Amino acid sequence: MEQQIAELTAQVEALTASAGVTNTNFAEAYYYLSIPLMIIIHAGFLAYEMGASRAKNVLSSGVKNLLAFAFMIPTFYFFGWWVYWGFPTGLTFSEGPMGISGAAYASSIAWGWGESAAYMGPNITDQASGVFFGAFAMFAATTASIMSGAVIERIQTVGFVILAIVLGSFAWVVAAAWGWHADGWLVTQWGVHDFGAAGLVHAVAGFFALGVLMHLGPRIGKFNADGSANHIAGHNMPLTVTGLMLIIVGFWGFLMACVIIPGEAWSWFADKQSTIYGTPITLSSLAFNILMAIAGGIIGAWIWTKDPFWMMSGALAGIISTASGLDIYYPALAFIIAVSAGMILKPAATWLERRGIDDAVGAVTVHGTIGLYGVIMLGVFGWGYPALAIDNAPVITLYGQIVGAVVFFLLGFVPGYVCAYILKALGMLRVPAAAEEAGLDTVKVPAQGYPEGISPSSPASS
Amino acid sequence: MFPYDTADWSVVDGPMFMLAGTQWPGIFTAIAAVICVWVLVVGNQSEHAQYKKSEK
Repeated sequence: MEQQIAELTAQVEALTASAGVTNTNFAEAYYYLSIPLMIIIHAGFLAYEMGASRAKNVLSSGVKNLLAFAFMIPTFYFFGWWVYWGFPTGLTFSEGPMGISGAAYASSIAWGWGESAAYMGPNITDQASGVFFGAFAMFAATTASIMSGAVIERIQTVGFVILAIVLGSFAWVVAAAWGWHADGWLVTQWGVHDFGAAGLVHAVAGFFALGVLMHLGPRIGKFNADGSANHIAGHNMPLTVTGLMLIIVGFWGFLMACVIIPGEAWSWFADKQSTIYGTPITLSSLAFNILMAIAGGIIGAWIWTKDPFWMMSGALAGIISTASGLDIYYPALAFIIAVSAGMILKPAATWLERRGIDDAVGAVTVHGTIGLYGVIMLGVFGWGYPALAIDNAPVITLYGQIVGAVVFFLLGFVPGYVCAYILKALGMLRVPAAAEEAGLDTVKVPAQGYPEGISPSSPASS
Repeated sequence: MFPYDTADWSVVDGPMFMLAGTQWPGIFTAIAAVICVWVLVVGNQSEHAQYKKSEK
């Protein structure tokens, strides 16, 4: 009998160990696979931006987008990852209540030198740091791509890359540390909930772009002397619309990477998935709500525009407007919010254009305005939900979400405005008029987008 | 360089990248950062030269 018990105990131990190995490998593979899915977002932004450019600028827009992606990864490695772990409690850099934040903690796991380098490279005992870093680096690159589309056809390449680094490896990361971390002061003190990063990724990037656009100015020919706007059509609408659809595909990876897998030392729970705040979530919740949001956004945009560009932008707006609460919305409510976001999209973009802002792809509206709309909508409908999985947790409130929205706006707009001002003073922001009129591909790209010819781009038309 | 005293995978119980536990990972990080800055400086000069050429 005793021998049988001993054998059974050994079997249970072996099974437990085996289950642990399976769980760890599953968790690592889960985040690892979210990375190529998020790279599809960048394939989408690349196609979207190149299609929205006139033929004379198509490759320079592509170069700019590729460089933003390429610089985002090493700069996020050098300091962005540290910012995420160092900043949650604000500018005190002190340790938060969960003990996973502050300058000392960040310096022990997120620097590429000294002892913390052990967690910033291949390590047989660490199957989490690299995939988490990779997923966050892709979030960072997404912010840069959001800004990238707004400024096409007249921004200098290096000036743009510097702006992308400030946005992707610092500004949004501070927003994430404050509002997307269990120790983040927006979460612990205000109950801010932004599961899918409507505010801390999309709004920050969208309003960073607005700050840049205010100094960059419109493309030549965009506005008439009386202030009325001309439509400058991109050279390839099908490429743009396909790019937007690729972004939608990639967002499944983005949103799955926002889920914390159970059963690991860093997990909130042994037996259930959670959000980054420790609140429960299922992938089924995401499947319900993302699909309903995409559909609602397309339908909402179609009501006013009948234009495939705005319909696909509406799909993005649908996801963004519901992203804060994709974990808890009822699908039909997600659909209703997404329809409303799709409907306000074009009027909001037109409102901005009438104020002399030339946002070439509507990024400020789609990501900025709709991002904040989503953060606030969750305050309306999610009031009373515990914002963290701890005792006496703060709850989601409308005023808390409004505080979050204001902070996200400022974390985007102020750095964008100030950095663009400095770059403008240094002569590194806008290309010379002669280069803009000749076309940036002719001036600085040693390749042709369409060597066998394409019908010339149309002049700006009313 | 293998970062453990014995060149045997069975003794690996932590970092396994080259030169782990030495100053070199930090030096490589610093060099990589300098490369990024240098590329931006040179790229900016090259870009402005191209703009000047286009204005002629």
